[in-house]
Parts: sequence; structure tokens; C-alpha cells
Amino acid sequence: MNILAWCVAAWLFGIGVYGIVTSRHYVHLIGCLSVCQSATYVLLLGIGFRWHAGPPIFYDHPPGTPAVDPVVQALVLTDIVVGATVTALLLAIALQMQKRRGTLDPQHLRPFRQQK
Amino acid sequence: MNTPARILLLAIALVVLAPAAASLILAMPAFGHPLSHYGMAVNALAPHLRNVSNMVAAVNFDIRGIDTLGEECMLLAAVTGTVMLLRGHRGEGMGEHAGGVPGRKQAPRSDATVLLCRFMATALFLFGIYMVLHGTVTPGGGFQGGVIAASSFMLLYLGEGYAAWRRIVRGPVLDVLEGSGALAYALAAALPLAGGYAALQNVLPLGTWKDLFSGGLMVAVNYAVAFAVIGGFGMLLLEFMEETRAPENDPVPDEENE
Amino acid sequence: MSPVQLLPVAVLLPLGLAALLLAVAHWLPPRVADAASVLASLILVALCGWLAVQALHGPVVHWFGGWTPVASGRPGVVLGIGFSADPMSAIIAAFCALLFALSFIFAWGYFDKIHAHFHVLMLLFMAAMIGFCLTRDLFNLFVWFELMSIAAFALTAYPLGSSALEGALNFTVTNALASFLMLAGVGLLYARTGSLDFLAMAKAIARIAPDPVIAGGFVLVATALLTKAAIVPFHMWLADAHAVAPTPVSVIFSGIMVGLGLFGILKLTTQVFAADAQVMALVHEGLFALGIATALTGGLMAWAQRHLKRLLAFSTISHLGIMLTAVAAVSATGTTGLLLYLIGHGLVKGALFMIAGILLARRDSVDELALYREGRALWPVGVVMAVAGLLLGGLPAGSLYAASDLIHESAHSVAVMFVLVFAASLTGAAVLRAACRIFAGWSGTPGVEVTAPTERGREQPDRPLWLMLLPCALMIGVAVLPVDSVAPFAGRAAALLLRPNGQAPIVIASDHVTLGSFFALAMTLAILAGALMRERPTGRIARRAARTERLPFDALQFLHSGLVTDYVAWMAVGVALLAGFLGLR
Repeated sequence: MNILAWCVAAWLFGIGVYGIVTSRHYVHLIGCLSVCQSATYVLLLGIGFRWHAGPPIFYDHPPGTPAVDPVVQALVLTDIVVGATVTALLLAIALQMQKRRGTLDPQHLRPFRQQK
Repeated sequence: MNTPARILLLAIALVVLAPAAASLILAMPAFGHPLSHYGMAVNALAPHLRNVSNMVAAVNFDIRGIDTLGEECMLLAAVTGTVMLLRGHRGEGMGEHAGGVPGRKQAPRSDATVLLCRFMATALFLFGIYMVLHGTVTPGGGFQGGVIAASSFMLLYLGEGYAAWRRIVRGPVLDVLEGSGALAYALAAALPLAGGYAALQNVLPLGTWKDLFSGGLMVAVNYAVAFAVIGGFGMLLLEFMEETRAPENDPVPDEENE
Repeated sequence: MSPVQLLPVAVLLPLGLAALLLAVAHWLPPRVADAASVLASLILVALCGWLAVQALHGPVVHWFGGWTPVASGRPGVVLGIGFSADPMSAIIAAFCALLFALSFIFAWGYFDKIHAHFHVLMLLFMAAMIGFCLTRDLFNLFVWFELMSIAAFALTAYPLGSSALEGALNFTVTNALASFLMLAGVGLLYARTGSLDFLAMAKAIARIAPDPVIAGGFVLVATALLTKAAIVPFHMWLADAHAVAPTPVSVIFSGIMVGLGLFGILKLTTQVFAADAQVMALVHEGLFALGIATALTGGLMAWAQRHLKRLLAFSTISHLGIMLTAVAAVSATGTTGLLLYLIGHGLVKGALFMIAGILLARRDSVDELALYREGRALWPVGVVMAVAGLLLGGLPAGSLYAASDLIHESAHSVAVMFVLVFAASLTGAAVLRAACRIFAGWSGTPGVEVTAPTERGREQPDRPLWLMLLPCALMIGVAVLPVDSVAPFAGRAAALLLRPNGQAPIVIASDHVTLGSFFALAMTLAILAGALMRERPTGRIARRAARTERLPFDALQFLHSGLVTDYVAWMAVGVALLAGFLGLR
């Protein structure tokens, strides 16, 4: 249990990178990037967790009750916004690419056709 | 490189990285017993210093407020970039009706759909605003509430159809919303500076504990973020949905091959 | 107004202006955005320059929200985010703003059709770079790094041609992956040290080091910064992105954006990890080796290109490798050399990209073989390009020469110096070869560059030539100025970065010319002569020699395949290299 969170984060990142390297469709590749990003969420939230502590919202409980780390939660919030924005940008590029080339296979898309 | 070669490269990298990752995982602090002097200090000090009960909002909008300004500008940049990329050579104009896939019949919208979407869109929008308003008190805030409110635009599209939706949701309005949200945040940082304090310092009256308007400058910043997020995500939805319009006005730039 | 009060304005002004331009974009007359952007950049140049001079007496520190280190009432816990301007950071920020001002002038009238969106993105880009230089909080560094990246992704894809989109995809996927690694690294460092402020982290690391989590955190953060700085094997995205981005954007990319990755590594090494022997060994030896490998790879690939922008991109990679050796030395000599090299190389490379933009606007191509003799009517452009090529190749004049002198000195090894000079000579000779072909019509038989990837392009054609050439010539002019007036400032700035309490030695750069100074230039001219006097191989031995010569270049071209899946695999190998180095020590 002690190392489960870190192992999950490492596994998610690894499987995401494997997915990117073997991808045959750009939308799948973008999904794999999201998986890599989920690894960072798990890592950050795992770092802030404290046993037998509640959320850092003191509306129902008085301030002073044990609570988890709010700083990593703020970091994860920023991370989510980053992820959403990069995904939107990538999808827009992929949309335009589909119109130009008719294919979204990463193995066939390279800038500048080779001159032989 | 073909795929087997790439996988081989990845496998070689993994052979080296696996023991490194293992030693890293074993050296991490014990799960559930974090060091976090920073977090504990925030939990202890922020309720008294800022009169708010949502610690995450205190960190986001006050203690690490300049991070959130950077993040909001990231949203601005990504939405502007996406708009620039999707509009492309199509330009900004509105069509008369949505595009269709050739060969597929377009079913007319049923009354149940329209009614349900009208209810749900309004309810969702109000729920998003509710989350924004309670940002400093209970879980929520500008980002979360803003995204929920912006997603109600999708239900509008579903219920009203393309033409009516385009009349309600207008590009320039969303741009103004987005830009003024970010500008308000930058002003909230700059005005205390002009007054002789530090940038983004909480100079407004802090309000009472557990009240809706507690937190001083955090409240203003929260609303600014909500505006920017509603405008930004609304713009994203608008541009992606415009792609479904019949794209006859989207000439592909001519490319000359060698 | 005191320096402390004006420090946040350096980021708040461009952010606020970008938001304002976006809000009124629909109703803005066409040139207002251009003018406002140029004005804002010039104000920032003045502000950051003034802050740099003020910071000579002590770093200018501003705590956002009033959250000073004593506000927590707990020793060692820093609650807020601070900006800390030391002279080197502030002058690099000023240089960023200067490049943006020149780029906005070059781009006057370029982006008419899109309602100020280009200016919004460029202003956000500039704000992010300035924030990156000035911050003293690790997560804040990540936020500015990410904003920089996102603005760059969007700007690269703007031309919307097929190659531009593919280049932008390669750029985005590799750099997004790198930023996830950086975030993981920040998380690990926060877990171990309990703080995000540079100085608080440094104190914690001094207590804890050596520790696998700290070293692992450094490797992850350094990977992201090395990816931004295009160091082997994380460098492959740069050639694709720079070759397809619009010219004003390429100027910024090669001019300063990639250099900021190296500056980030230097800042973190000196201000956070100085007490960790394991990390410092990785920097001194591992990064040094990567720098040499990058310099060579970049130089060889630059020589083998025919598309001018791709050539310049590989030349940037090569010079980044040279700069990395200076970073890895973590010494006063190296740091002073790095500062002057960043500025000198930025000016020269920016001017060269503008020249490529002029060729795209006037001749619809940047392929040096297709443009053979086409540039004779544009001879002033050719003169500027020749001077730039000579500067890259080691002409003993100006800041680039003085800086390379210092960098060679900090390498402490004649063999390494020879390799660095060879790499720089290859890049200079490649630029000169292109200039000779396009503007003078001198050429030998094309060599290995014939098989390089290339394509035609076009950019906005109706801007006046003088408007495009003016910023270009200005940059080269500043680059050849003697360094005597700025050398004492550079020395003090570097010393204050290394040891803020002022106890590092001050190294004064000089462009004092001896006979040995011409060695690099001689090598450049020799390589150039070899290309210009080359003949078609007719005999059997000549043909075999030509085939053997092509082999290493063909192998390198094969590795730089243009497929993003390959790039990600090489990034994994790179991380493994860094981790393996740590494991072996």
C-alpha cells in the first residue's frame, strides 16, 4: 500500500508513452498524451495525501481538523487546465491535418516529403 | 524507423529506467505521511488571515495568485490559437444551417428534446454560476463553475439547432468576456501595486467567515476567472461546432510540390 | 517608483495588453495592434534594462500578494511566490523584449487577416519568457514554461499548410510530453523538500542530499528544459518546427526561446542544486558530453541541408550544444561566455531568419539550389547574410567571438575546443555556401545536400524591402560591436548569478585578436572552398569517395525521420541516458 500510488503513476506514464510510440491514429495519440498526464495527477495527489485527514475545506469542520495538502490540489487544478488547453490545440491541428492530407496516421505524416 | 525498431529502442530505454524508477519509488516519502510544511502552514494560517473556508481557493487565488493568472493566460493562448487554426481560411462568417453528411438523413428535432434541453441548459448554467459564487466557501470556484456553465452551451446547440444557437451565442461577445476576464485579473494585480502595496495583495475588506463574499480580493479574482473560462470554453465549443457546417468556404491553401 | 514596485510590471504589462487586445479585437483598426505591441516591447526593454542595472547592488525581490517569507511566522516555510531579478536574468529578459520589438517591426502588416490574434499570442509569449527569467518559484517557472510552449505551438501551426501542421504536431507532442515530465519532477522535489521556493529548496537539499528522489526530480525537470533547448537526443522537433513557422516567430524561437531552456538549467543548478554532489556531477560531466554530441550533430546536419530555414534550425542546435558546455562548467568564465553567446547568437540567428523571410516573400522559396543566382538583385541582403555567416564561423569581431573565446577557455581541453570550433565552422560555412549560391552565383557541384528534405513556400509578399531589411541589419550591426563597454557588466552579472553574496570571480570578456583567433575563420573558409570548388565525381575512386562521404550524412538524415513516434522513442532513450549516468556514479 505504501508504494501503490507511485507504481500506478509510473505504470500510467509508461503505458501512455508505449501508446504514443506505437500509435496509428493521431486522435489515439492525443488520448495517450492524456493518459501520461493522468500519471502526473496521481503522483501529485498521492504526494499530498494524509491518512485519516479530510478535505481542506473548513465549512462543516472547524479549522484545525486534520486536512490533506491544499497546495498540491491547486497544482493539479493548474495541470488540468494545461491538459485541456493542449488537447484542444492538438485536436484543432489534427482536424486541419485531416482536411489537408486525408489521413491521420503518424507513421505517414512527416514535414517535407523526402527528396530522392 | 519501422515499429519493431522503435519498440526495441523503447525496450532498451526501459531496461535502464526500470531499476532507476524502482529505486526512486522505494526512496519516496511514505504514502500518507507527507512532509508538506507548506500545506500545513496554509491550513493553519489561511482561515484566520483571509477569512475563507476553502483552502484550495485561498492557495489558487491569493497565496499563489500569480500562478493562476499565468494559467488563465494559458487558457487565453490556447483558445486564441485554436480559433486561429480552425477559422483558418474559412473566415468568421456564420452559415444558414449546419452541415450534413452526404447520404445520411437528418431527423427533425423532437419536442421532448427541445423542452428537456431548454430546462437542462438553464439549470446547468445556473448551477455553474452557483459554483462560481461559492468559490471561496465550499468546493468550487471560477474554473470549475465556469466550465460547467460553458458546457450548457452544448445543450443549447442540441435543443435549439444551429441557426438559433448562432444567434444566441456570438463570437465577439465571447471574445469580450474572455478578454475582460483576463484583463480584470491583471488589473486586480496591478491596482494594489499602484496603491503602494505588493502586486495582487488582498487590500479589500475580508468579509465574515463562511459568508458568500468572504475573502476580499479573492472574490473579484474568482469572478474574473469565471468570465474568462466561460468565454474561453464557449469560444472553443463555437469553433469546433462551426466545423460541422458545410465547409464550402474553406479553401485549402495551394501547396506546390517539388 | 522603486525597482521593487516596478518589477511585476514586466509581466503584468504584456499580459494586460494581450487581454485588452483580445477583448477589443473585433473593433480595432488594423495597425493599432502592431503599434501597441511595438510600444509595449520597447517599454519592457527599458524597464528590464533599468532593473538589470539596479540589481547590480543586490537582487530586486518582489513577493506577490505581500506573502513575504516572514508572513508565515514559521521559519523555513515560504508561503508566497517571489520574483527575484538579478542582473543576468533581467538583461536576458530585456533581450527577449528587444527581439520581440524587432520581430513586430518585421511583421508589420504580415498578419492582417486575423484580428490581432497574432499579437495576442506573441504578447503572451513575451510575458511568459520574461516571467520565466524573473521567477524564484519552481511551479511558477513551470507555469511560464507552459505558457511559452502553448503560445509557440499555436504560432507554429499558423501557416496551415500540410508541413506547418505536421511540424506543429511534432513540436506539440514532444514538448507536451516534456512538460508532463517537468511537472512530475516538480512534484517529486516538493515531496522531498516541502517547499517550492528556490532558496528554501536549496536549504532543504543541502540537508538531505544525496537522495534518489532529489536526483530523480532534477533529471525530470532537466529533461524538459533540455527538450526546450533542443539537446541531443531531445532535439529533433526543432528542425521541423523552425522550418515551417512564420518567419517572425522563427526569429523568436531561434533567437531566445531555445536559449531560455539552457538558462533555466543554469539557474536551477546554481540556485537550487548547488549543494547536491550527485546532481552537480551529472551536470559537469553528463551535460558536458551531451553538449559536445549536440554541437557535432547539429553542425553535420546543418551542412547537409538545402532548405535554408532547416539549415538555420540545425545550426541553432549546434550552437546550443556549444552553449551547453558552458552551462555544464558552472564557472564564472562559462557563465559570462554563456550570457554574451546567448545575446550574440540570438542577434545573428534572428537576422538570418529574417533574411530567409525576405527570400520567402520576394522569391517564394528558401531552397538554396532552387534559388541559384535568383538573389542577385537583392545584393544588400546578400551582404548581411555573408557577414552573419562569417560571424557564426568565427570572425574575430563582436560579442559572438568574445563569447566563444570564453567558452573554449571554460572547456579546459584542447580536443573539446577543436570539436566546438569544427561544429561552429560547419554552420558558418553552410550559411556562406547558401549565400554564395543565392546571391553571387558561385557554386560547385552540389554535395550531400541534394537529398535533403525541402519544399517551396510563400509568405506575405507586399511588405517593403527596407522595412524587412532594417531590423536585420540593425541586429548584425549590434552583434559586431566591440564588447568593451558591456564586458564589465557581463562579468559582474555572471558573478552575481553564481554567488549572490558577491564572492565569485569576475571575468572580463575581450575581443582581443591574436593570430590564433583566425583559426576558426580559416577552418570555415576552407570548408566553404571545398564546397565551392567541388566537381562532379567522374573517376571510380572519386565516385567511391563521394559515396563514403554520403554515408554518415544519410544515416543522420534517416534518424531525423520526421515521425513524432520516433522522436518520443529517442526522448525515452535520453531520459534513460541521464538516469543511467546517475546510476553509474
